[in-house]
Amino acid sequence: MILQGLQIVMNPYIILLIAVGTVIGIVFGAIPGLTATMAIAMFLPVTYSMTSSQGVNLLVALYIGGISGGLVSAILLNIPGTPSSVATCFDGKPLADKGQAAKALSTGVICSFIGTLIGIAMLILISPVLCDFALKFGSFEYCALSVFSLSMVIALTGRDMPKGLISAVLGCLLATVGLAPIDSRPRFTFGNFHLNNGLQLLTLLIGLFAIPEFMAFAEKVHKPEKVVINTNVKMRGGGVSAKELLGQWFNILRSALIGIGIGILPGIGGGVSCVLSYTVAKNMSKYPEKFGTGIIDGVVASETANNGTIGGAMIPLLSLGIPGDAATAMLLGGLQIHNVVPGPLIYQNSGAVLYGIFFAMVLSSLFMMLFMLFGMKFFISVLRIPKNYLLPLILVLCCIGAIGDNNQVFEAYSVVGFGLMAYLLVKAKIPTVPMILGFILGPMFENNIRKSSQLIQTDSLLGHPIFLVFIAVTVVVVILSLRAYRKEVNASETEAASATDT
Amino acid sequence: MKRVLALATLLSVVMTLTACSGGTSSAGSAPAGSAGGQAASASSQTAAVDWPKKTINFYCTHASGGDTDYMARKLASSLEKVLGVSIAVTSVGGSNGATCTTQYKDGPTDGYTFICGNTAALCGNKATKLVDFGYEAFEPVAIYGKQSGENIVTRADAPYTNLKELIDASKKKPNSIKFGISTGGGVYIESCVLKNLGGTQFNVVEAGDGATRLTALLGGEIDCTSLPYSTAADYIKSGKLKSLCTVMSKAPDLMPDQECASKYVPQLKIDTEYVILAPKNTNSALLKAMNDAILKVGQSDDWKKIVNSYCMQNPYVLNLQDTLSNLKEQDNLYMSYQPYL
Repeated sequence: MILQGLQIVMNPYIILLIAVGTVIGIVFGAIPGLTATMAIAMFLPVTYSMTSSQGVNLLVALYIGGISGGLVSAILLNIPGTPSSVATCFDGKPLADKGQAAKALSTGVICSFIGTLIGIAMLILISPVLCDFALKFGSFEYCALSVFSLSMVIALTGRDMPKGLISAVLGCLLATVGLAPIDSRPRFTFGNFHLNNGLQLLTLLIGLFAIPEFMAFAEKVHKPEKVVINTNVKMRGGGVSAKELLGQWFNILRSALIGIGIGILPGIGGGVSCVLSYTVAKNMSKYPEKFGTGIIDGVVASETANNGTIGGAMIPLLSLGIPGDAATAMLLGGLQIHNVVPGPLIYQNSGAVLYGIFFAMVLSSLFMMLFMLFGMKFFISVLRIPKNYLLPLILVLCCIGAIGDNNQVFEAYSVVGFGLMAYLLVKAKIPTVPMILGFILGPMFENNIRKSSQLIQTDSLLGHPIFLVFIAVTVVVVILSLRAYRKEVNASETEAASATDT
Repeated sequence: MKRVLALATLLSVVMTLTACSGGTSSAGSAPAGSAGGQAASASSQTAAVDWPKKTINFYCTHASGGDTDYMARKLASSLEKVLGVSIAVTSVGGSNGATCTTQYKDGPTDGYTFICGNTAALCGNKATKLVDFGYEAFEPVAIYGKQSGENIVTRADAPYTNLKELIDASKKKPNSIKFGISTGGGVYIESCVLKNLGGTQFNVVEAGDGATRLTALLGGEIDCTSLPYSTAADYIKSGKLKSLCTVMSKAPDLMPDQECASKYVPQLKIDTEYVILAPKNTNSALLKAMNDAILKVGQSDDWKKIVNSYCMQNPYVLNLQDTLSNLKEQDNLYMSYQPYL
């Protein structure tokens, strides 16, 4: 069956489809506003006329390319191309500002490749074990996991804790717009049926990250000297050395595992895994203060984790038929349409196609790495385009992407609304990443705590050890973070006091 | 030079994307309102002769990847061959189809705008008061297929072999059997009918959409639920889950041995059928022409293959009159559930 799978993929037409799918995916990932999900949605109908192996492998290639492409705009423009690359901005952009864009990009690309490979290895080798683990996650466990993930926001924000919390809570509140989970009551919709669907993560992402970049540029536009071609990019020897990458082996492994872990749990996805992995890397680092100033550790953590999530998300998708996020939900539909029904019988019924998918994933990630490393020169040349030409184009693309999300012009208005809000937040020095996390995790918490409240009549909390462990870890994280915060505040106060004394 | 090249590439990407989202721009334009309807019906005869002359728009009520979208796209590509014009399918998902139906119910009445949905969402959304209109807010064009339906399933080791035993067990030990639902959707309606008309005493708990209910059932968080047959099929075949019955009024054509829930709870008949609607006041000659074309598609061998393999059903395409009376019947049934919802 493995050989049959290999045979399927080793067909020149399928290799071409995988290559084309990967490139299109990268383009969708790299352009802010267009995402992997959208690439799959757009190409799903195209695959209807293909054979199942052609269609399925094209979709998988789009998925891998789409998740990987996000790092380009995150590093070069400080606008994450997909939610999965939010944390790549933290260190990617400072690196690019230092003239090391090529280093940041190659690190990101290579780590994406390694992350995907580790994920695929897990998918092939131990997916039954991981599936059993994923099935143990019910409402109680998800509830605790979302609280735990939210507590990581505190650890992430460090010195700006109050502002970080404001941002996270705002995110949770924004997510309450629309039909309530469970009882479908409209909340904060003001009679507007567009709001019944709730606000979309994609539009929030564009509003929060892209618009403030444009506004910041608009502020400077009257100073003509700023509108110059950015030539501060070293191309020669700009890549990352093997030694540097080898020094990151533990970071890579840990981030990949975090990515896979988040991936196998349905409903969370790459947006959370990259931030969690970044936070863990920062907290476990010997030099946490350097994070955010432009070190490759941050890029490694974020990019390995989000691509690890691909393999992770494919585990419950293929073995149980349970999609992990919007993109995999779309993939599930695509697989079913091509008569590959994910579930317990997939190895029996579609074994050859399944092994074909594994090979296609490996091939696609290889293509991804090659295309992105060779295409680096082109990506970086984007930086040389004067921003007064580049940014309007990106703004247009962002809006097209927002509209394409669900074919609603309303989404473009949301982008503008979020953008104005983000501009004010940036002016008030409130970080925007916690808001994204709040927006994703808030509804997850609400949904699951409401489900748990229905189950608690018959279930005892003691029967849920995973729940108890997460809650205990959360308490420890919160206490440690608060202590660290207090220490920092005290230290800065003493510093300020001694400064005034002298 | 490089700058120019890079700029040109970016521009071409923008233009390609704008072109790709051609359907999008029309999706966003404000519906034309129903005032044009009268004028249209006055010139109905001419329009019927001339139609169709340009691309037809299908707006699908559910997102890509689902069965409603798949069937709409399959119908569109078959119709293109019959009508000789392109059909652009745009998915406008959200709120169980309510976003799309709200937006296009008063859309252009020129015969180039149609809504593709399913009857369970159309009638169910009205019954659950998610929207305040049903099929009567549209001009029904055709019902063109039946889903393989939902089945009430338990884990394979559960002691019940049919719905009656499950109902009896729940009565014996009230609130001990957890029935997973997704509030507001079809499974929610089922649970209300089961409770009020079947006398079940389940502990009805929220368990999310189909995939999440499947996880909850396999993981032991709930004891039974209703799942689309396509989601549950492999688990039933591999002996992990057990189907007690289908909730359709009649077992799917290619699986005639399935027991129907209505055997024990006569009112429980949830049929999901695929339907094409036109905005209100679209003229009748155009509706007839479109219905004729869909009937023609329904007779083809290709269509039979599609519905056999995807829906486990034989072709089921209704003419204008039957479509209308079928929708009326389903609407009445759902509205009879309303007091229990």
